[in-house]
Amino acid sequence: MKLWVAREGHDTEVEFEARGDRLWLTIEGRRLEADCRRLWDGEVYSVLIEGRSHEVRVSSPGGRLEVTLDGATIPVEVRHPLEKLLQATGPAARASGRETVVAPMPGLVVALRVRPGDVVAAGQPVVVVEAMKMQNELATRGGGVVTDVLVEERTPVSAGQALVRIAQAGS
Amino acid sequence: MSRRPKIARVRRVLIANRGEIAVRVIRTLRERGITSVAVFSEPDREALHVLLADEAYPIGPGPARESYLNPERVLETARRVKADAVHPGYGFFAENAAFAHTCAEAGLLFIGPPADVIARLGDKLAAREIARRAEVPLIPASPGPLAGVDEAGKAARAIGFPVMLKAAAGGGGKGMRIVSTEAELAAAWELARGEASAAFDDDRIYVERFIERPRHVEAQILADAKGHVAFLGERECSVQRRHQKLLEETPCPAFDPATRSAFADAACRIAKTAGYVGVGTVEFLLDADGHFYFLEVNTRLQVEHPVTEMVTGLDLVAEQIRVAEGDALWFGGDPPAPRGCAIEARILAEDPANHFLPSAGRIDRLRLPQGPGVRNDSGVTQGFQVPVFYDSLLSKLIVWGPDREIARRRLLRALDETVLEGVHHNLVFHRWLAAHPAFASARLSTRFLEEHFTAAALEPSPEAAEVALIAAALHARHERAAVALPAENRGRSPWRWAERGRSPGARR
Repeated sequence: MKLWVAREGHDTEVEFEARGDRLWLTIEGRRLEADCRRLWDGEVYSVLIEGRSHEVRVSSPGGRLEVTLDGATIPVEVRHPLEKLLQATGPAARASGRETVVAPMPGLVVALRVRPGDVVAAGQPVVVVEAMKMQNELATRGGGVVTDVLVEERTPVSAGQALVRIAQAGS
Repeated sequence: MSRRPKIARVRRVLIANRGEIAVRVIRTLRERGITSVAVFSEPDREALHVLLADEAYPIGPGPARESYLNPERVLETARRVKADAVHPGYGFFAENAAFAHTCAEAGLLFIGPPADVIARLGDKLAAREIARRAEVPLIPASPGPLAGVDEAGKAARAIGFPVMLKAAAGGGGKGMRIVSTEAELAAAWELARGEASAAFDDDRIYVERFIERPRHVEAQILADAKGHVAFLGERECSVQRRHQKLLEETPCPAFDPATRSAFADAACRIAKTAGYVGVGTVEFLLDADGHFYFLEVNTRLQVEHPVTEMVTGLDLVAEQIRVAEGDALWFGGDPPAPRGCAIEARILAEDPANHFLPSAGRIDRLRLPQGPGVRNDSGVTQGFQVPVFYDSLLSKLIVWGPDREIARRRLLRALDETVLEGVHHNLVFHRWLAAHPAFASARLSTRFLEEHFTAAALEPSPEAAEVALIAAALHARHERAAVALPAENRGRSPWRWAERGRSPGARR
């Protein structure tokens, strides 16, 4: 059995070979013995790779696969060889030319720094959201022209809520 | 001096707080056979402090102003359930003189300093005046609060940039902004005032010289009502982000015995001059030449008090209760000598890979470290929904070792042992910090993060990344044919196997 695993757009082939109750996998030219046990809480595995012990959690929030180990969460994609072929012929990701500044956490909008029509530089703060007693300045990544301000001051916002839209310069 | 209600021994203590500090106070109360009375907001119904307290009563909805920060509700509950004392923890009412005063008037013992002492020291400008009288070195500052941004500019120019804008009522880094140039002043003024107003209901701001690359070192003091003041050792809390401490340790690795002795004297002089009673912290900045300057007095139990407990063997909450009951210091003038080194890492619900933004959500999985020299002061349990309304401190990991290097390695070991999933947290950040050569050799300053930290420092190691790939592949194999959907459909579900089963046209 062969799978492709990808992290940060870089694909790696993993080939499995099971013999009896032992399992080997080949990754980047190395053949490693692995043992994998699903622990009681479902998403968590004890993985032994050539005897090295790792406790990992594999979860799929929002449809993406995430592997958590040593306190770090690493997004990973898994594909069949066929899926890989399909993806290669699919349309390229479209450049949007627009940026939306979203609330990264639930909180309260305490200050708006821009109005529609304002020209903002990359990294410039556009809105201040108070959450967990701290005021957090949210900045535009790319800069451009503010097209929409979607919230008012003193209003509560939820995580992921769009706050300000910016058309990127030159698009 | 305000008059304290005469109480022989407290029997029922209401804890006007939540999270790990409420749990911490409950533990001492239970050990001493005192009834612990918790209060909780609606989202905290299943919180650990409610589970551990002898009694627990609701005080309102999630927003702190409608529950934990609502003095009428807290005091009404205290009266109704016949508490005889209130422990404020830190934050909320801990440094609120009006609240302490109201407690005293209602015949409730406030477990903290007298209201007038809180008022005097809580005002940073009045506290500076006390330090001046105690002949303790001060950082140059504007003589009083500033009327507006123009006056702030004038004061800043007189002191010389860079300066620090500070809330007169400040504490915990809130309402504080560094201003490097005049151009930054107006924006910083608004942010500092906004934070000060929101956090303390007091928007007075003053300006102070900014000392570059200082270490933050603070003195733990304990004073009884008879005028005895003891120095219980110092804590170094230099590793901070936006003036929020992230890691604290004792002893301060930069101190020699002569500096420590002068430092202890200065802290005790301030406490005596202020008429201090209870557990308190005198904060100082230590410059590169080893000179220390008075910063402020925190008239409460500090978040980082466990490191002092680890090296002295004292229970500072028990000491607070004793002196509040009117007892003299039980150790007289000879406090327990500190032994070894202790380090505390604050485990916060925030995302170090995304500008340390706070994170709320459910704790899906939690396994705290154990073993020699390890203490966890945690306010959460597995399954708990971390509310959005309060600060982001989930748990404190405290380690002890006979020396700093053993404590540091123990911290790394304990961090490796910790499993915490479901909310973003800073465990990876602490692992980076504890392993950093500058930290290992104790080359610390409050600018440690600016100088050493980049988000790239949190990137998984090549080994971890490969393990992640292998684990994902093993998981996929486990799930038999679990594969990601092609790019256009992504965002639905990676489980094509399941999708296939549901859509009749997908399979021949």
